[in-house]
Amino acid sequence: MKKKFDIADCFLLFILISACTQNKQHDLDREEQKIITDTLVPITAVVKMVYISGGEYKPFYGPDTVLVKVIPFVIDERAVTNQEYLAFVTKNPQWRKSAIKPLYSDSNYLKDWPTDLQLPKNAKPNAPVCNVSWFAAKAYAKTVGKRLPTLDEWEFIAMADEITANARNKKNYSDAIIDLYLQKNRQYNEVKLSKPNYWGVYNMFDLIWEWTDDFNSILSTNDSRAGQYDDKELFCAGSATSSTDILNYAAFMRFALRTSIKAHYTIGNLGFRCAKDTAIKLN
Amino acid sequence: MKYILSSILFLFLLNSCKEVKKDRSALPRNSIFNLSSVWTNQDGKDLQLKDLPNKTLVVVMIYTTCKSACPILVGKMKAIEGKFTRKIKEDIALVLVSIDPKTDTPEKLKAFAKSNGMVGEQWIFLRSTEEATQEFANVLAMKYKKISPIDFSHSNIISVFSADGKLMSQEEGNIDVNKVVENVEKVTNQ
Amino acid sequence: MKIRNLVHLFSMIALTVIVSCNTNQVNTSTENAIDIVAEGTPEVAEITGAPKVPKPIGDRAAKKLIVNLVTTEIEGIIADSIPYTFWTFNNTVPGSFIRVRIGDEITVNLKNDANSVLPHNIDLHAVTGPGGGAPASSSAPGKETSFTFKAINTGLYVYHCAAPPVPMHIGNGMYGLILVEPAGGLPKVDKEYYIMQGDFYTKASNIKKGLMEFDNDKAVAENPDYVLFNGKKGALLGANMIEAKVGETVRLFIGNGGPNLTSSFHVIGEIFDRVYLEGGTTISQNIQTTMIPAGGAVIVEFKCEVPGEYVLVDHSLSRAFNKGAIGKLKVTGEANPKVFNAKTMAKE
Repeated sequence: MKKKFDIADCFLLFILISACTQNKQHDLDREEQKIITDTLVPITAVVKMVYISGGEYKPFYGPDTVLVKVIPFVIDERAVTNQEYLAFVTKNPQWRKSAIKPLYSDSNYLKDWPTDLQLPKNAKPNAPVCNVSWFAAKAYAKTVGKRLPTLDEWEFIAMADEITANARNKKNYSDAIIDLYLQKNRQYNEVKLSKPNYWGVYNMFDLIWEWTDDFNSILSTNDSRAGQYDDKELFCAGSATSSTDILNYAAFMRFALRTSIKAHYTIGNLGFRCAKDTAIKLN
Repeated sequence: MKYILSSILFLFLLNSCKEVKKDRSALPRNSIFNLSSVWTNQDGKDLQLKDLPNKTLVVVMIYTTCKSACPILVGKMKAIEGKFTRKIKEDIALVLVSIDPKTDTPEKLKAFAKSNGMVGEQWIFLRSTEEATQEFANVLAMKYKKISPIDFSHSNIISVFSADGKLMSQEEGNIDVNKVVENVEKVTNQ
Repeated sequence: MKIRNLVHLFSMIALTVIVSCNTNQVNTSTENAIDIVAEGTPEVAEITGAPKVPKPIGDRAAKKLIVNLVTTEIEGIIADSIPYTFWTFNNTVPGSFIRVRIGDEITVNLKNDANSVLPHNIDLHAVTGPGGGAPASSSAPGKETSFTFKAINTGLYVYHCAAPPVPMHIGNGMYGLILVEPAGGLPKVDKEYYIMQGDFYTKASNIKKGLMEFDNDKAVAENPDYVLFNGKKGALLGANMIEAKVGETVRLFIGNGGPNLTSSFHVIGEIFDRVYLEGGTTISQNIQTTMIPAGGAVIVEFKCEVPGEYVLVDHSLSRAFNKGAIGKLKVTGEANPKVFNAKTMAKE
């Protein structure tokens, strides 16, 4: 009888130990899992980049007295086109419509593209690409050796009309922009069909909304009626939430759009262009 | 007597078997473990998000020099941790990610952890490059902006991720600690 | 004997008090509205386009309701044959009428049509909560948002889009009404109609010939081109007159979306027997002209005694006769010479 017990004990002990080691084995498996990478195959985009000499400007949201400095940079003269985006997904299959991870995009990514490598039937190759998320736009910018413009950089350029760098105080500045915003289906037009602005940049207002690198830096609840005082519990140090230019309705609309989107959203009239740092200093 | 001993051993055996149940063979496509960013924890060790423990994750983004809402967020994280039973505590990790990686070096994070009594296997502090930080914030739909050399304006969100990295729930603003605890228990017991 | 008299006296006093209390107040529930339990699985609420309203809530208990709204940017006719760029809830100006009960839990699903250029949201004045739901419902083009609120106050409330710039969104027609009925519902009437006034500021579009759009300068100066009922000149005239019969009681739910003007609402030839002041629970009687603040509403009730056409106006009359704030109620039935007799003997 004693012997049986000993065998039974050993057996149980053996099973117990192997169960424990199974646990360890699983942990090892996870460690041995490949390092996560996101290699991008570079492509060349042939687009003229325009030099923006920068300067100081009063941002739309922020304390009235603080001017933000924008250092010189270069930016694409126009938005990224359908054609260029097709080249991107051709070389980078993980960014194709059928392969993109839900982490990086909602279900409307390249919604109108019939297949991974086909543009929509009536789409113009030189129309801006839309229905792309912030993650996708960033990946594209990386593959062409560039980045997305920052909000300040974009808004700095947006101050200009065709003849002046800062046209914000002109009587019709905001109205003219709103007129353009109210048009539908502009996103199907080709780029560069209208006149460039003071900097030589095309289509800031008459084509699409554009992703910026730090669009998520607007700490406002999108309820512009809250005025000076945004909920301090929602936003830590929420002082930068009042608008400095309340008659600039066009900017209100633009910022309203930015606060209503998340990085994985894709929208039919939201695309992007690329920018780059520069060491050049011109006056 | 020996019968009793062996049946006790048998019970332990069954228990340990339960822990092996979690299947992490395939990475879900909406898991944050898909991110390739490399992070450094408070002990100076480099890791990718996939290397985080196989546990339910309670995640918040803060910075150590924050004087306004972050201390409250830190307090809430501690309160949340304190509300778990010992059993569940084994299955959760609390992750604090810095939005100011320039200032928040691993050493700073370690000192911060110590002075806030957040020492232990369950507390993980992470920092990375500014770009990786921004990408992570955007996955959480979190907003932040540098408003002075030392101050950030940012939204207050506590997120709960499943053990395989899927975002399961978020609480924002005036965060109800009990709600977060409830969400964690739901996720862990799935 | 003395005791019986005392009892008699007390009961007379009690009766008087009870009766007089009732005539001036709607029977508001004594339950604490927040504690009312809304039962059942959520169901889609009936919503209607002006001037129709959904069925009265009657005797039902508090429920869980779902309200589905779509925000769109469309071209419509504002007056004569003039097209205008309207922004709408559910493709109508005003937006759909929502009818709920005190204690109901309502989930608002707000979808922004994929063809929209701009983000939209909703602020319902019946909501107690941040922005009336606006921050929680901010929807980018093609996206949908959702939030739930409990109706804890009875009354007639405006809802509108609060996306910046707010006067522009409202000026383009993004408003409507939500009615929160008390337990047991409002007293029964024969006809109910939904009317909403709004001021419109227009200028010619630079882009599309003939199309009119919002004029910011005129709005800031509060100088509208049109002041309209239900978003279109003539919306309540001609074939679109609202109707009732002699002897019927009529209830009008009237809102004022603004964005700027206050209305002096009057029905020519009628007196409002009951007016729920500012859409709340205090009732005034025998009112000729009632004020509807911008972003406010009113409920009026009257009994039709004499047949004829009764003209609804904003009694700031230049708005009625020059800008379109005019509609008609057609009452049909037997003449009632006791109340009004137009025939006079020709004087010799």
